[in-house]
Amino acid sequence: MTAETTPALRIAGLAKTYRLGLTGSVTRMALAPLDLTVRRGEIFGYLGPNGSGKTTTLKILMGLVRADAGAVEVLGLDHADPAWRRRAGYLPEHPYFYDYLTPAEYLAYAGRLLGLARGEIAQRSEELLRLVGLSEARDVPMRRFSKGMVQRLGLAQALVNDPEIVFLDEPMSGLDPIGRHLVRNIILDLRERGKTVFFSTHILPDAETLCDRLALLRSGRLLKVGRLDEILAIDVSHFEVLASAGGPELKQAAVAAGANLTGEMGERWRMHVDEQHLPAVVAAVSAGGGRVLGVQPVRESLEEYFFREMGGNTARDPWALGD
Amino acid sequence: MGTGRLSRIVAVAANTHREAVRERVLYNLIFFAILMILSGLLLGQLSIRQDEKIIKDIGLAAMDVFGTLIGVFLGVSLMSKEIERRSLYPLLAKPLSRDEFLAGKFFGLSFTLFVNVVVMALGLYATLFVTGRSADLALLKAVLPIYQGLVLVVAIAVLFSTLTSSALAAVGTVCVVVAGRYSDVVRNMRDVVPDAPAWLIEGLYYAMPNFRNFDFKNRVVYGDPVSWGDLGFVTVYWLLYLALTLSVAAVAFRQRDFQ
Repeated sequence: MTAETTPALRIAGLAKTYRLGLTGSVTRMALAPLDLTVRRGEIFGYLGPNGSGKTTTLKILMGLVRADAGAVEVLGLDHADPAWRRRAGYLPEHPYFYDYLTPAEYLAYAGRLLGLARGEIAQRSEELLRLVGLSEARDVPMRRFSKGMVQRLGLAQALVNDPEIVFLDEPMSGLDPIGRHLVRNIILDLRERGKTVFFSTHILPDAETLCDRLALLRSGRLLKVGRLDEILAIDVSHFEVLASAGGPELKQAAVAAGANLTGEMGERWRMHVDEQHLPAVVAAVSAGGGRVLGVQPVRESLEEYFFREMGGNTARDPWALGD
Repeated sequence: MGTGRLSRIVAVAANTHREAVRERVLYNLIFFAILMILSGLLLGQLSIRQDEKIIKDIGLAAMDVFGTLIGVFLGVSLMSKEIERRSLYPLLAKPLSRDEFLAGKFFGLSFTLFVNVVVMALGLYATLFVTGRSADLALLKAVLPIYQGLVLVVAIAVLFSTLTSSALAAVGTVCVVVAGRYSDVVRNMRDVVPDAPAWLIEGLYYAMPNFRNFDFKNRVVYGDPVSWGDLGFVTVYWLLYLALTLSVAAVAFRQRDFQ
Protein backbone atom coordinates (compact mmCIF):
# COMPACT_ATOMS: atom_id res chain seq x y z
CA MET A 1 0.00 0.00 0.00
CA THR A 2 1.56 3.33 -1.03
CA ALA A 3 1.55 6.44 1.09
CA GLU A 4 -1.16 7.93 -1.14
CA THR A 5 -3.47 4.94 -0.77
CA THR A 6 -3.10 4.37 2.94
CA PRO A 7 -5.95 5.93 4.88
CA ALA A 8 -5.32 9.26 6.53
CA LEU A 9 -6.61 7.79 9.76
CA ARG A 10 -7.34 4.23 10.81
CA ILE A 11 -8.84 3.47 14.19
CA ALA A 12 -9.37 -0.11 15.38
CA GLY A 13 -11.03 -1.11 18.64
CA LEU A 14 -10.30 2.19 20.38
CA ALA A 15 -11.90 2.19 23.83
CA LYS A 16 -11.82 4.35 26.92
CA THR A 17 -13.40 4.17 30.36
CA TYR A 18 -12.72 6.97 32.81
CA ARG A 19 -12.12 6.10 36.43
CA LEU A 20 -13.55 8.70 38.76
CA GLY A 21 -13.18 9.49 42.42
CA LEU A 22 -10.17 9.12 44.69
CA THR A 23 -10.05 5.35 44.47
CA GLY A 24 -11.11 5.15 40.83
CA SER A 25 -13.87 2.74 41.78
CA VAL A 26 -16.52 4.70 39.86
CA THR A 27 -16.22 4.20 36.13
CA ARG A 28 -17.74 5.97 33.16
CA MET A 29 -17.58 4.45 29.72
CA ALA A 30 -16.53 7.25 27.37
CA LEU A 31 -15.83 5.27 24.22
CA ALA A 32 -16.96 1.78 23.29
CA PRO A 33 -14.58 -0.07 20.96
CA LEU A 34 -14.47 2.20 17.91
CA ASP A 35 -13.51 1.26 14.37
CA LEU A 36 -13.19 4.04 11.85
CA THR A 37 -11.30 4.83 8.66
CA VAL A 38 -10.85 8.30 7.21
CA ARG A 39 -9.67 8.54 3.61
CA ARG A 40 -7.07 10.93 2.37
CA GLY A 41 -8.34 14.23 1.06
CA GLU A 42 -11.79 14.08 2.54
CA ILE A 43 -13.63 16.25 5.02
CA PHE A 44 -14.82 13.90 7.70
CA GLY A 45 -17.44 15.06 10.17
CA TYR A 46 -17.57 13.53 13.63
CA LEU A 47 -21.01 14.19 15.01
CA GLY A 48 -22.74 13.59 18.28
CA PRO A 49 -24.42 15.39 21.17
CA ASN A 50 -22.51 16.61 24.20
CA GLY A 51 -21.02 13.68 26.03
CA SER A 52 -21.09 11.36 23.06
CA GLY A 53 -17.33 10.79 23.05
CA LYS A 54 -16.21 13.15 20.27
CA THR A 55 -13.67 15.09 22.30
CA THR A 56 -12.49 11.94 24.07
CA THR A 57 -11.71 10.41 20.68
CA LEU A 58 -9.82 13.51 19.59
CA LYS A 59 -7.93 13.69 22.86
CA ILE A 60 -6.87 10.06 22.52
CA LEU A 61 -5.71 10.76 18.96
CA MET A 62 -3.72 13.77 20.17
CA GLY A 63 -2.19 11.85 23.08
CA LEU A 64 -3.92 13.87 25.78
CA VAL A 65 -5.87 10.88 27.07
CA ARG A 66 -4.62 7.30 27.10
CA ALA A 67 -6.85 4.67 25.52
CA ASP A 68 -7.62 1.46 27.37
CA ALA A 69 -7.46 -0.55 24.17
CA GLY A 70 -7.19 -0.23 20.43
CA ALA A 71 -4.81 0.76 17.68
CA VAL A 72 -4.49 3.98 15.71
CA GLU A 73 -2.59 4.78 12.54
CA VAL A 74 -2.24 8.33 11.29
CA LEU A 75 -0.97 8.90 7.74
CA GLY A 76 0.13 5.26 7.67
CA LEU A 77 2.25 5.64 10.81
CA ASP A 78 1.71 4.03 14.17
CA HIS A 79 0.19 6.41 16.70
CA ALA A 80 3.23 6.05 19.00
CA ASP A 81 5.55 7.29 16.22
CA PRO A 82 5.86 11.07 16.74
CA ALA A 83 6.75 11.57 13.06
CA TRP A 84 3.08 11.92 12.03
CA ARG A 85 2.67 14.85 14.39
CA ARG A 86 4.93 16.97 12.20
CA ARG A 87 2.38 16.44 9.40
CA ALA A 88 -0.75 17.02 11.48
CA GLY A 89 -2.56 19.98 13.03
CA TYR A 90 -4.96 20.17 15.96
CA LEU A 91 -7.41 22.76 17.19
CA PRO A 92 -8.74 21.85 20.66
CA GLU A 93 -12.25 22.66 21.83
CA HIS A 94 -12.41 26.04 23.63
CA PRO A 95 -8.72 26.72 23.12
CA TYR A 96 -6.66 28.93 25.41
CA PHE A 97 -3.41 30.48 24.33
CA TYR A 98 -1.05 32.40 26.58
CA ASP A 99 -2.62 35.82 27.00
CA TYR A 100 0.76 37.48 27.49
CA LEU A 101 1.84 36.49 23.96
CA THR A 102 0.95 38.09 20.65
CA PRO A 103 -0.33 35.92 17.78
CA ALA A 104 3.00 36.30 15.98
CA GLU A 105 4.89 35.15 19.09
CA TYR A 106 2.57 32.19 19.59
CA LEU A 107 2.86 31.03 16.00
CA ALA A 108 6.66 31.32 16.28
CA TYR A 109 6.54 29.14 19.41
CA ALA A 110 4.32 26.56 17.67
CA GLY A 111 6.63 26.60 14.65
CA ARG A 112 9.69 25.98 16.80
CA LEU A 113 8.05 22.97 18.45
CA LEU A 114 7.34 21.62 14.97
CA GLY A 115 10.98 22.06 13.98
CA LEU A 116 10.32 24.69 11.31
CA ALA A 117 13.09 27.04 10.20
CA ARG A 118 12.94 30.66 11.33
CA GLY A 119 12.28 31.99 7.81
CA GLU A 120 9.55 29.44 7.19
CA ILE A 121 7.86 30.33 10.47
CA ALA A 122 7.86 34.05 9.58
CA GLN A 123 6.43 33.40 6.14
CA ARG A 124 3.75 30.97 7.34
CA SER A 125 2.78 33.30 10.20
CA GLU A 126 2.16 36.19 7.81
CA GLU A 127 0.13 34.00 5.45
CA LEU A 128 -1.95 32.42 8.21
CA LEU A 129 -2.66 35.62 10.11
CA ARG A 130 -3.89 37.11 6.84
CA LEU A 131 -5.95 33.98 6.14
CA VAL A 132 -7.75 34.09 9.49
CA GLY A 133 -8.12 37.86 9.46
CA LEU A 134 -5.72 38.65 12.31
CA SER A 135 -3.01 40.56 10.40
CA GLU A 136 -3.96 43.81 12.11
CA ALA A 137 -3.72 42.15 15.53
CA ARG A 138 -0.44 40.33 14.94
CA ASP A 139 1.37 42.27 17.69
CA VAL A 140 -1.54 42.68 20.12
CA PRO A 141 -1.31 40.63 23.35
CA MET A 142 -3.95 37.94 23.31
CA ARG A 143 -5.41 39.07 26.63
CA ARG A 144 -7.25 41.67 24.51
CA PHE A 145 -8.70 39.08 22.17
CA SER A 146 -12.38 38.15 21.88
CA LYS A 147 -13.39 34.50 21.95
CA GLY A 148 -13.75 34.50 18.18
CA MET A 149 -10.25 35.92 17.69
CA VAL A 150 -8.80 33.21 19.94
CA GLN A 151 -10.63 30.60 17.88
CA ARG A 152 -9.19 32.05 14.67
CA LEU A 153 -5.69 31.97 16.10
CA GLY A 154 -6.36 28.38 17.13
CA LEU A 155 -7.03 27.53 13.53
CA ALA A 156 -3.89 29.37 12.41
CA GLN A 157 -1.66 27.44 14.84
CA ALA A 158 -3.21 24.18 13.64
CA LEU A 159 -2.11 25.02 10.11
CA VAL A 160 1.35 26.47 10.81
CA ASN A 161 3.14 23.37 9.46
CA ASP A 162 0.89 23.12 6.37
CA PRO A 163 -0.37 19.76 7.70
CA GLU A 164 -1.61 16.84 5.64
CA ILE A 165 -4.33 16.10 8.18
CA VAL A 166 -6.08 18.57 10.46
CA PHE A 167 -8.09 17.62 13.54
CA LEU A 168 -10.56 20.30 14.53
CA ASP A 169 -12.64 20.02 17.70
CA GLU A 170 -15.75 22.19 17.32
CA PRO A 171 -14.02 24.69 15.00
CA MET A 172 -17.09 26.94 14.71
CA SER A 173 -17.44 27.37 18.45
CA GLY A 174 -17.52 31.02 19.53
CA LEU A 175 -17.47 32.39 15.99
CA ASP A 176 -19.85 34.98 14.58
CA PRO A 177 -21.44 34.34 11.13
CA ILE A 178 -18.50 35.99 9.36
CA GLY A 179 -16.04 33.88 11.31
CA ARG A 180 -17.99 30.72 10.56
CA HIS A 181 -18.06 31.56 6.88
CA LEU A 182 -14.31 32.12 6.98
CA VAL A 183 -13.65 28.79 8.71
CA ARG A 184 -15.94 26.97 6.27
CA ASN A 185 -13.97 28.42 3.36
CA ILE A 186 -10.66 27.46 4.97
CA ILE A 187 -11.87 23.87 5.45
CA LEU A 188 -13.05 23.69 1.84
CA ASP A 189 -9.75 25.17 0.65
CA LEU A 190 -7.85 22.51 2.61
CA ARG A 191 -9.77 19.81 0.76
CA GLU A 192 -9.05 21.56 -2.55
CA ARG A 193 -5.37 21.25 -1.72
CA GLY A 194 -5.71 17.54 -0.99
CA LYS A 195 -5.61 17.80 2.79
CA THR A 196 -7.70 15.66 5.12
CA VAL A 197 -9.93 17.38 7.63
CA PHE A 198 -11.38 15.51 10.61
CA PHE A 199 -13.69 17.73 12.56
CA SER A 200 -16.12 17.24 15.38
CA THR A 201 -19.22 19.33 15.62
CA HIS A 202 -22.74 19.39 16.88
CA ILE A 203 -23.68 22.16 14.45
CA LEU A 204 -25.52 20.03 11.93
CA PRO A 205 -25.86 22.51 9.02
CA ASP A 206 -22.04 22.84 9.02
CA ALA A 207 -21.66 19.09 8.77
CA GLU A 208 -24.31 18.93 6.07
CA THR A 209 -22.63 21.54 3.87
CA LEU A 210 -18.99 20.59 4.45
CA CYS A 211 -18.56 16.88 4.97
CA ASP A 212 -17.78 14.27 2.36
CA ARG A 213 -18.47 11.59 4.94
CA LEU A 214 -19.48 11.61 8.53
CA ALA A 215 -19.78 9.45 11.59
CA LEU A 216 -22.56 9.67 14.16
CA LEU A 217 -21.78 8.93 17.76
CA ARG A 218 -24.05 8.44 20.74
CA SER A 219 -23.04 7.59 24.30
CA GLY A 220 -19.58 6.62 23.13
CA ARG A 221 -20.88 4.24 20.48
CA LEU A 222 -20.65 4.65 16.76
CA LEU A 223 -24.12 4.68 15.23
CA LYS A 224 -23.39 5.16 11.58
CA VAL A 225 -20.60 6.06 9.15
CA GLY A 226 -20.91 7.05 5.53
CA ARG A 227 -21.75 9.75 3.02
CA LEU A 228 -24.61 11.99 3.97
CA ASP A 229 -26.79 10.65 1.16
CA GLU A 230 -26.04 7.08 2.23
CA ILE A 231 -27.04 7.82 5.78
CA LEU A 232 -30.17 9.75 4.87
CA ALA A 233 -31.23 7.82 1.74
CA ILE A 234 -32.74 4.99 3.68
CA ASP A 235 -34.92 7.48 5.45
CA VAL A 236 -36.80 8.83 2.40
CA SER A 237 -40.18 8.50 3.97
CA HIS A 238 -42.43 11.13 2.54
CA PHE A 239 -43.00 13.40 -0.44
CA GLU A 240 -43.63 17.06 -0.93
CA VAL A 241 -46.59 17.70 -3.23
CA LEU A 242 -47.16 21.11 -4.79
CA ALA A 243 -50.71 21.67 -6.03
CA SER A 244 -52.71 24.62 -7.37
CA ALA A 245 -56.34 25.79 -7.63
CA GLY A 246 -59.14 24.22 -5.74
CA GLY A 247 -61.13 25.48 -2.79
CA PRO A 248 -61.44 24.45 0.83
CA GLU A 249 -63.26 21.24 -0.13
CA LEU A 250 -60.32 20.12 -2.21
CA LYS A 251 -57.93 20.74 0.68
CA GLN A 252 -60.23 18.78 2.97
CA ALA A 253 -60.32 15.92 0.47
CA ALA A 254 -56.50 15.90 0.24
CA VAL A 255 -56.16 15.94 4.03
CA ALA A 256 -58.70 13.13 4.26
CA ALA A 257 -56.60 11.15 1.78
CA GLY A 258 -53.59 11.49 4.07
CA ALA A 259 -51.93 14.82 3.17
CA ASN A 260 -50.43 17.18 5.70
CA LEU A 261 -50.70 20.85 4.59
CA THR A 262 -47.43 22.69 5.20
CA GLY A 263 -47.87 26.05 3.47
CA GLU A 264 -49.79 28.24 1.06
CA MET A 265 -48.45 30.66 -1.56
CA GLY A 266 -51.41 32.40 -3.19
CA GLU A 267 -53.27 29.74 -5.14
CA ARG A 268 -50.59 27.18 -4.66
CA TRP A 269 -50.29 25.03 -1.63
CA ARG A 270 -47.75 22.59 -0.38
CA MET A 271 -48.28 19.39 1.52
CA HIS A 272 -46.29 16.50 2.90
CA VAL A 273 -47.57 13.04 2.06
CA ASP A 274 -46.43 9.62 3.23
CA GLU A 275 -45.42 7.18 0.50
CA GLN A 276 -48.44 4.90 1.02
CA HIS A 277 -50.92 7.78 0.78
CA LEU A 278 -49.38 9.42 -2.29
CA PRO A 279 -51.65 7.82 -5.00
CA ALA A 280 -54.81 8.63 -3.02
CA VAL A 281 -53.80 12.27 -2.44
CA VAL A 282 -52.88 12.82 -6.11
CA ALA A 283 -56.20 11.27 -7.13
CA ALA A 284 -58.14 13.45 -4.65
CA VAL A 285 -56.51 16.64 -6.00
CA SER A 286 -57.21 15.70 -9.62
CA ALA A 287 -60.77 14.61 -8.86
CA GLY A 288 -61.48 17.92 -7.12
CA GLY A 289 -60.38 20.00 -10.13
CA GLY A 290 -56.95 20.90 -8.82
CA ARG A 291 -53.60 20.34 -10.48
CA VAL A 292 -50.58 18.56 -9.12
CA LEU A 293 -47.60 20.74 -10.07
CA GLY A 294 -44.88 18.62 -8.60
CA VAL A 295 -44.08 15.62 -6.44
CA GLN A 296 -40.69 15.43 -4.83
CA PRO A 297 -39.27 12.92 -2.38
CA VAL A 298 -38.33 14.64 0.82
CA ARG A 299 -35.11 13.44 2.34
CA GLU A 300 -34.90 13.78 6.03
CA SER A 301 -32.52 16.55 7.05
CA LEU A 302 -29.49 15.62 9.08
CA GLU A 303 -31.05 17.49 11.95
CA GLU A 304 -34.25 15.45 11.77
CA TYR A 305 -32.24 12.26 11.49
CA PHE A 306 -30.07 13.31 14.40
CA PHE A 307 -33.02 14.07 16.63
CA ARG A 308 -34.73 10.84 15.73
CA GLU A 309 -31.61 8.76 16.38
CA MET A 310 -30.83 10.58 19.60
CA GLY A 311 -34.43 10.28 20.70
CA GLY A 312 -34.68 14.07 20.76
CA ASN A 313 -33.31 13.98 24.25
CA THR A 314 -29.62 13.67 24.88
CA ALA A 315 -30.12 14.34 28.58
CA ARG A 316 -30.99 10.71 29.07
CA ASP A 317 -27.33 9.87 28.65
CA PRO A 318 -26.24 9.38 32.23
CA TRP A 319 -22.78 10.72 31.47
CA ALA A 320 -23.70 13.69 29.30
CA LEU A 321 -21.48 15.90 31.40
CA GLY A 322 -19.06 16.80 28.63
CA ASP A 323 -17.25 14.89 25.96
CA MET B 1 19.85 14.01 23.06
CA GLY B 2 18.95 15.00 19.50
CA THR B 3 19.02 18.63 18.42
CA GLY B 4 15.27 18.46 17.75
CA ARG B 5 14.57 17.37 21.29
CA LEU B 6 16.93 19.96 22.74
CA SER B 7 15.42 22.67 20.56
CA ARG B 8 11.91 21.81 21.77
CA ILE B 9 12.97 21.81 25.43
CA VAL B 10 14.68 25.17 24.94
CA ALA B 11 11.54 26.54 23.23
CA VAL B 12 9.35 25.54 26.20
CA ALA B 13 11.95 26.84 28.68
CA ALA B 14 12.21 30.18 26.83
CA ASN B 15 8.45 30.57 26.80
CA THR B 16 8.25 29.70 30.51
CA HIS B 17 10.87 32.32 31.31
CA ARG B 18 9.05 34.87 29.16
CA GLU B 19 5.82 34.20 31.05
CA ALA B 20 7.61 34.58 34.38
CA VAL B 21 9.21 37.85 33.30
CA ARG B 22 5.83 39.20 32.22
CA GLU B 23 4.28 38.29 35.60
CA ARG B 24 4.20 41.46 37.68
CA VAL B 25 4.28 39.52 40.95
CA LEU B 26 7.84 38.59 40.14
CA TYR B 27 8.91 42.23 40.08
CA ASN B 28 7.11 42.86 43.35
CA LEU B 29 9.06 40.10 45.06
CA ILE B 30 12.35 41.40 43.72
CA PHE B 31 11.34 44.84 44.94
CA PHE B 32 10.72 43.44 48.42
CA ALA B 33 14.00 41.57 48.40
CA ILE B 34 15.84 44.77 47.54
CA LEU B 35 13.90 46.52 50.28
CA MET B 36 15.14 43.94 52.74
CA ILE B 37 18.72 44.56 51.71
CA LEU B 38 18.23 48.29 52.14
CA SER B 39 16.72 47.75 55.58
CA GLY B 40 19.81 45.72 56.43
CA LEU B 41 21.86 48.70 55.44
CA LEU B 42 19.84 50.88 57.78
CA LEU B 43 20.22 48.40 60.65
CA GLY B 44 23.90 48.18 59.93
CA GLN B 45 24.30 51.85 60.63
CA LEU B 46 22.74 51.34 64.03
CA SER B 47 25.01 48.49 65.15
CA ILE B 48 28.63 49.27 65.87
CA ARG B 49 31.16 46.87 64.18
CA GLN B 50 28.40 44.39 63.34
CA ASP B 51 27.10 46.37 60.37
CA GLU B 52 28.76 44.28 57.66
CA LYS B 53 27.55 40.99 59.14
CA ILE B 54 24.00 42.31 59.54
CA ILE B 55 23.89 43.52 55.94
CA LYS B 56 25.14 40.16 54.66
CA ASP B 57 22.87 38.22 56.99
CA ILE B 58 19.70 40.07 56.05
CA GLY B 59 20.65 40.16 52.37
CA LEU B 60 21.18 36.39 52.19
CA ALA B 61 18.06 35.70 54.28
CA ALA B 62 16.00 37.92 51.95
CA MET B 63 17.42 36.11 48.95
CA ASP B 64 16.45 32.77 50.50
CA VAL B 65 12.97 33.71 51.72
CA PHE B 66 11.88 35.69 48.65
CA GLY B 67 13.50 33.18 46.34
CA THR B 68 11.48 30.42 48.04
CA LEU B 69 8.27 32.43 47.68
CA ILE B 70 9.01 33.05 44.01
CA GLY B 71 9.90 29.39 43.55
CA VAL B 72 6.65 28.11 45.11
CA PHE B 73 4.51 30.70 43.36
CA LEU B 74 6.01 30.29 39.90
CA GLY B 75 6.53 26.55 40.14
CA VAL B 76 2.91 25.89 41.02
CA SER B 77 1.20 28.58 38.96
CA LEU B 78 3.16 28.24 35.72
CA MET B 79 2.81 24.48 35.63
CA SER B 80 -0.77 24.21 36.89
CA LYS B 81 -1.99 26.96 34.58
CA GLU B 82 -0.84 24.96 31.57
CA ILE B 83 -3.00 22.05 32.71
CA GLU B 84 -6.00 23.92 34.11
CA ARG B 85 -6.30 26.41 31.25
CA ARG B 86 -5.49 23.70 28.73
CA SER B 87 -2.79 25.70 26.98
CA LEU B 88 -0.68 22.55 26.80
CA TYR B 89 -3.24 20.72 24.63
CA PRO B 90 -2.14 22.12 21.26
CA LEU B 91 1.50 21.80 22.36
CA LEU B 92 1.32 18.10 23.24
CA ALA B 93 -0.40 17.44 19.90
CA LYS B 94 2.83 18.58 18.26
CA PRO B 95 5.97 16.43 18.26
CA LEU B 96 6.65 17.44 21.86
CA SER B 97 6.71 14.61 24.39
CA ARG B 98 5.42 15.07 27.91
CA ASP B 99 8.94 14.53 29.26
CA GLU B 100 10.24 17.31 27.01
CA PHE B 101 7.46 19.62 28.12
CA LEU B 102 8.17 18.91 31.79
CA ALA B 103 11.91 19.39 31.29
CA GLY B 104 11.28 22.66 29.44
CA LYS B 105 9.06 24.00 32.21
CA PHE B 106 11.60 23.00 34.87
CA PHE B 107 14.58 24.53 33.09
CA GLY B 108 12.63 27.70 32.27
CA LEU B 109 11.65 28.13 35.92
CA SER B 110 15.17 27.33 37.12
CA PHE B 111 16.61 29.90 34.73
CA THR B 112 14.13 32.50 35.98
CA LEU B 113 15.22 31.79 39.55
CA PHE B 114 18.85 32.00 38.46
CA VAL B 115 18.24 35.47 37.04
CA ASN B 116 16.51 36.47 40.26
CA VAL B 117 19.27 35.17 42.50
CA VAL B 118 21.87 36.91 40.33
CA VAL B 119 19.93 40.20 40.53
CA MET B 120 19.57 39.89 44.30
CA ALA B 121 23.23 38.91 44.76
CA LEU B 122 24.30 41.89 42.65
CA GLY B 123 22.06 44.06 44.83
CA LEU B 124 23.76 42.74 47.96
CA TYR B 125 27.25 43.22 46.51
CA ALA B 126 26.32 46.73 45.36
CA THR B 127 25.13 47.57 48.88
CA LEU B 128 28.37 46.31 50.43
CA PHE B 129 30.47 48.07 47.80
CA VAL B 130 28.64 51.40 48.01
CA THR B 131 28.87 51.45 51.83
CA GLY B 132 32.57 50.58 51.72
CA ARG B 133 32.30 47.15 53.33
CA SER B 134 34.18 44.07 52.23
CA ALA B 135 32.44 42.46 49.27
CA ASP B 136 34.42 39.25 48.95
CA LEU B 137 33.60 36.33 46.71
CA ALA B 138 33.17 34.03 49.72
CA LEU B 139 29.56 35.19 49.84
CA LEU B 140 28.94 33.11 46.71
CA LYS B 141 29.54 30.00 48.82
CA ALA B 142 26.26 30.85 50.54
CA VAL B 143 24.49 32.09 47.40
CA LEU B 144 25.11 28.94 45.34
CA PRO B 145 23.47 26.55 47.88
CA ILE B 146 20.58 29.01 48.25
CA TYR B 147 20.03 28.75 44.50
CA GLN B 148 20.27 24.94 44.66
CA GLY B 149 17.59 24.91 47.37
CA LEU B 150 15.34 27.14 45.28
CA VAL B 151 15.66 24.86 42.25
CA LEU B 152 14.66 21.95 44.48
CA VAL B 153 11.62 23.96 45.62
CA VAL B 154 10.66 24.41 41.96
CA ALA B 155 11.08 20.69 41.28
CA ILE B 156 8.79 19.88 44.23
CA ALA B 157 6.23 22.43 43.00
CA VAL B 158 6.35 20.91 39.52
CA LEU B 159 5.90 17.43 40.99
CA PHE B 160 2.80 18.46 42.96
CA SER B 161 1.41 20.31 39.94
CA THR B 162 1.55 17.15 37.85
CA LEU B 163 -0.39 15.29 40.54
CA THR B 164 -3.13 17.66 41.65
CA SER B 165 -4.85 21.05 41.33
CA SER B 166 -2.96 24.32 41.77
CA ALA B 167 -4.40 24.99 45.25
CA LEU B 168 -3.46 21.55 46.58
CA ALA B 169 -0.12 21.72 44.79
CA ALA B 170 0.69 25.00 46.57
CA VAL B 171 -0.31 23.54 49.96
CA GLY B 172 1.70 20.36 49.32
CA THR B 173 4.78 22.26 48.20
CA VAL B 174 4.69 24.62 51.18
CA CYS B 175 4.26 21.67 53.56
CA VAL B 176 7.26 19.80 52.12
CA VAL B 177 9.42 22.95 52.07
CA VAL B 178 8.53 23.85 55.66
CA ALA B 179 9.03 20.25 56.82
CA GLY B 180 12.35 20.19 54.96
CA ARG B 181 13.50 23.38 56.62
CA TYR B 182 12.61 22.05 60.06
CA SER B 183 13.58 18.44 59.49
CA ASP B 184 14.88 18.16 63.05
CA VAL B 185 11.33 18.67 64.24
CA VAL B 186 10.27 15.73 62.10
CA ARG B 187 13.07 13.58 63.48
CA ASN B 188 12.20 14.47 67.07
CA MET B 189 8.51 13.93 66.54
CA ARG B 190 8.57 10.94 68.92
CA ASP B 191 9.17 13.36 71.77
CA VAL B 192 5.73 14.82 71.06
CA VAL B 193 4.00 11.67 69.77
CA PRO B 194 5.64 8.78 71.64
CA ASP B 195 3.38 6.16 70.05
CA ALA B 196 4.36 7.06 66.49
CA PRO B 197 6.19 4.13 64.85
CA ALA B 198 9.91 4.70 64.48
CA TRP B 199 9.95 3.52 60.86
CA LEU B 200 7.35 6.17 59.99
CA ILE B 201 9.33 8.96 61.60
CA GLU B 202 12.57 7.82 60.00
CA GLY B 203 10.85 7.33 56.65
CA LEU B 204 9.38 10.83 56.76
CA TYR B 205 12.71 12.32 57.78
CA TYR B 206 14.56 10.77 54.85
CA ALA B 207 11.75 11.32 52.35
CA MET B 208 11.71 15.08 53.01
CA PRO B 209 14.54 16.99 51.39
CA ASN B 210 16.65 18.51 54.15
CA PHE B 211 16.80 22.17 53.19
CA ARG B 212 19.14 22.86 56.11
CA ASN B 213 21.86 21.22 54.05
CA PHE B 214 21.70 24.24 51.73
CA ASP B 215 22.03 26.76 54.53
CA PHE B 216 25.59 28.10 54.67
CA LYS B 217 24.54 31.64 55.53
CA ASN B 218 25.79 31.81 59.11
CA ARG B 219 29.06 30.04 58.34
CA VAL B 220 29.83 32.42 55.49
CA VAL B 221 28.73 35.57 57.32
CA TYR B 222 30.67 34.72 60.49
CA GLY B 223 33.75 33.63 58.59
CA ASP B 224 33.69 29.88 59.31
CA PRO B 225 35.43 28.06 56.48
CA VAL B 226 33.21 26.41 53.86
CA SER B 227 35.24 23.92 51.86
CA TRP B 228 34.59 22.92 48.26
CA GLY B 229 34.07 19.43 49.67
CA ASP B 230 31.12 20.71 51.71
CA LEU B 231 29.64 22.30 48.59
CA GLY B 232 30.35 19.15 46.57
CA PHE B 233 28.49 17.01 49.09
CA VAL B 234 25.50 19.35 48.96
CA THR B 235 25.59 19.33 45.17
CA VAL B 236 25.51 15.52 45.05
CA TYR B 237 22.63 15.51 47.57
CA TRP B 238 20.88 18.16 45.48
CA LEU B 239 21.32 16.26 42.20
CA LEU B 240 20.04 13.02 43.72
CA TYR B 241 16.95 14.70 45.14
CA LEU B 242 16.32 16.56 41.89
CA ALA B 243 16.63 13.36 39.86
CA LEU B 244 14.26 11.55 42.22
CA THR B 245 11.68 14.37 42.34
CA LEU B 246 11.69 14.97 38.58
CA SER B 247 11.55 11.25 37.80
CA VAL B 248 8.44 10.83 39.95
CA ALA B 249 6.97 13.97 38.32
CA ALA B 250 7.72 12.59 34.83
CA VAL B 251 6.07 9.23 35.61
CA ALA B 252 3.00 10.97 37.09
CA PHE B 253 2.78 13.37 34.13
CA ARG B 254 3.06 10.55 31.59
CA GLN B 255 0.18 8.69 33.26
CA ARG B 256 -2.12 11.68 33.49
CA ASP B 257 -5.30 11.91 31.42
CA PHE B 258 -6.26 15.49 30.48
CA GLN B 259 -10.03 15.10 30.58
